[in-house]
Amino acid sequence: MAKSHELHRSDFVKSVVAVLGTIIGGFIAIPGIGYLISPSLKFEASEAWIPLGPLENYPDGTPTLFNFTRTKINGWEKTVNSYGVYVVNHGGNQVTVFSNMCTHLSCRVNWQEDGQIYHCPCHDGKFSPTGEVTGGPPPKPLNVYETKIEDGVLSIHFVEG
Amino acid sequence: MNEDYKQTYHEKYAREKQHGVKFFPDIIFKDMLVSFGIFVLLVGLAIFVGVANEPPADPSDSAYIPRPEWYFLFLFEMLKYFPGQIEWIGTAIIPGAAVVALFLLPFFDKNRSRHWSKRKFAIGFMSLAVLSMVVLTIMAVATTPPQEEVALASTLSEQITLGQDVYSVQCVECHGAEGEGGEIIGVEGLEGVVLDPINHSDIMYTYTDDTLYNIVEYGQPALGMPPLGLAYGGELSRGDITALVNFMRYTWDDRAELPAEAVAASAIPELKPGEVPSYEVHIATLSKRYCVSCHRPNKENNNYLMQSYEEIMTSGDNAPNLIAGDLGSNLIRMLHREEIEAGGPMPPTKELKPEYIEIWERWVMGGMPNTAAEAAAVSTTTTESAPTAPAASQTP
Amino acid sequence: MEKLYTWLDERLGLKTIYDVVLDRKVPKVNWFYTLGSASLFLFVIQAVTGIFLTVYYVPSPDHAYDSIQFIMNGVAFGWLIRGIHHWGATLMVLVVFFHMLRTFYFASYKYPRELTWLTGVLLLFLTLGMGFTGYLLPWNQRAYWATTVGTEIPGTVPIIGPWITSFLRGGPDLSAVTLARFFSLHIWWLPAGIVLLISVHMYLIIRLGISSLPKKDD
Repeated sequence: MAKSHELHRSDFVKSVVAVLGTIIGGFIAIPGIGYLISPSLKFEASEAWIPLGPLENYPDGTPTLFNFTRTKINGWEKTVNSYGVYVVNHGGNQVTVFSNMCTHLSCRVNWQEDGQIYHCPCHDGKFSPTGEVTGGPPPKPLNVYETKIEDGVLSIHFVEG
Repeated sequence: MNEDYKQTYHEKYAREKQHGVKFFPDIIFKDMLVSFGIFVLLVGLAIFVGVANEPPADPSDSAYIPRPEWYFLFLFEMLKYFPGQIEWIGTAIIPGAAVVALFLLPFFDKNRSRHWSKRKFAIGFMSLAVLSMVVLTIMAVATTPPQEEVALASTLSEQITLGQDVYSVQCVECHGAEGEGGEIIGVEGLEGVVLDPINHSDIMYTYTDDTLYNIVEYGQPALGMPPLGLAYGGELSRGDITALVNFMRYTWDDRAELPAEAVAASAIPELKPGEVPSYEVHIATLSKRYCVSCHRPNKENNNYLMQSYEEIMTSGDNAPNLIAGDLGSNLIRMLHREEIEAGGPMPPTKELKPEYIEIWERWVMGGMPNTAAEAAAVSTTTTESAPTAPAASQTP
Repeated sequence: MEKLYTWLDERLGLKTIYDVVLDRKVPKVNWFYTLGSASLFLFVIQAVTGIFLTVYYVPSPDHAYDSIQFIMNGVAFGWLIRGIHHWGATLMVLVVFFHMLRTFYFASYKYPRELTWLTGVLLLFLTLGMGFTGYLLPWNQRAYWATTVGTEIPGTVPIIGPWITSFLRGGPDLSAVTLARFFSLHIWWLPAGIVLLISVHMYLIIRLGISSLPKKDD
């Protein structure tokens, strides 16, 4: 009788140790996981109309590169990200603005006047003047921005996130 | 130490073990209970007390009273009693001796007895040492002067809001409420100087945060801008300047987006029809943003200060500048850009927006209540669903 | 399961470890004897939360303060982890100190446990060292000025004093160099020393057994 009582006590003590240990572990582990992954779950949507200057600055038909920057807070630092767009003025207030980011792995594409293509230097991706993929690995055509023209000034709708 | 002594010890210890318990689970069980208690206490402290927010390190702020962590306070306090040439007795000899004594304790304590009744000297000595540590700690805490309160901003939105306040007090008198610049009026030594706008993208795109910071801290004396940093005779700590730079960046730089919280925090509350504004909610915000920059001590302002309700009501060479129910009060006339005996149009450079002037007028007509509760008591409407005609609100 | 255990035991000697470390007889003791394990527990808590803090903390005067603001406001549970680390430091100093007092009052430092005492005293001072170096890391006013004064104290010692101060600071002033070396001390040197000494301390405890409560005739 005494023996089995002794055994019960020992089992009880062991399970209390296990339960309390698990509680402590859980109280550290669960916030810990949240702590580690929370920056990856947070994205700040960003949206703005970016002025690209008077439309007349852009020559008809030729894609022209325009660079602009956006400031973002990443953790404890302000990051100034640089973006490039190719503006194609079709004349008569018709304009197409392509992102210069390759749809494959986000390298920056260059307009090649002699080949009449946007060429990506990383994996030899090629896009036609209308942004369609004509060669290489890119899965999608170049991204096109929504545009508006107010008082002759061209703006694009920049959306991120 | 003879072999007999060792032998007796081991025999005794073996007997104790015989009557003892198993390390696992008995001892571990007790340990676990205590550790768990400590853990609960720890989590409780972390959740309910937390960590006090402190301003960033500022080597230029010599007014800060240094305090060590509390468990070093007794050492810190002890140094008071070793002035001048004998200082090093307190800083080196006593702590050094204590450390060495503690280390070598088992080697110089030749007393073989273990029971407390046979170790009265050792126990008394240690207790005295601990007691004096406790007393010194208490004395240190009791004699510590309270630290000066500082405005703290931790999140970006709080920074921007604090920066707005700093800007309103320190910069508005020359650079204008929106950084628009223009001719300086009513600032000693800079009268009539015309300033370029600082809210322009030319500035915002080409000046980095560091540049802005330095300009604020060192000033540009050759151009007439005084230094504002504490280290150079100004009033701003590093944290203030950082907040100010963030305010400028996020308000005027079109590449950065002002967080919605910051917009909400610095917005001047809109009045509902029939609502009487209060000093607390409306007027304090307006006067802070548009007036206090000049209307504070040591500025050219006919001694009219506007930093508190009492000051606004009573101070000034031409007091009273505000009379309840009187739209002909000095301040209201000057807001309407009249040139009167008490002075010229206010704010001197740029007219206040009509909706802001209306807030001032409705406040004067409402009897100039101080708190939001007093204002609500005289308002003719309390809910949005029952608006009264605005005209009725003029004569509550 | 059984097979896996046998396989592992054959190679690791799990049974031996269990017998030697856990399944051993010790004298009956009182609740004050839990302070040692509580110190170890707090060290583990400090180590775990400290490792978490290094994920975002940057030991540079430019970013230290901002990175801690980010931990407090920008990351989920960052405030909790820092809160536990902050209060854990205070509790650890208290518990380790009380553990020392317990050992003293119950005369546990006497034969044959002199070396256990020696390592314990070293551990107490290393714990205080952790407190002192960790205090600077948030790079706030309190940290900066307390450490300025704290490193000034050894400077009062005749002849070598000023040199000690500049050694601690890594130069004549409290600077980025000071922050970097305090950080290094706080996360590498001191913890390494603590882990090493805890191992020796524990080995001695297991080898010599927990000291028994002193009896009238002891």
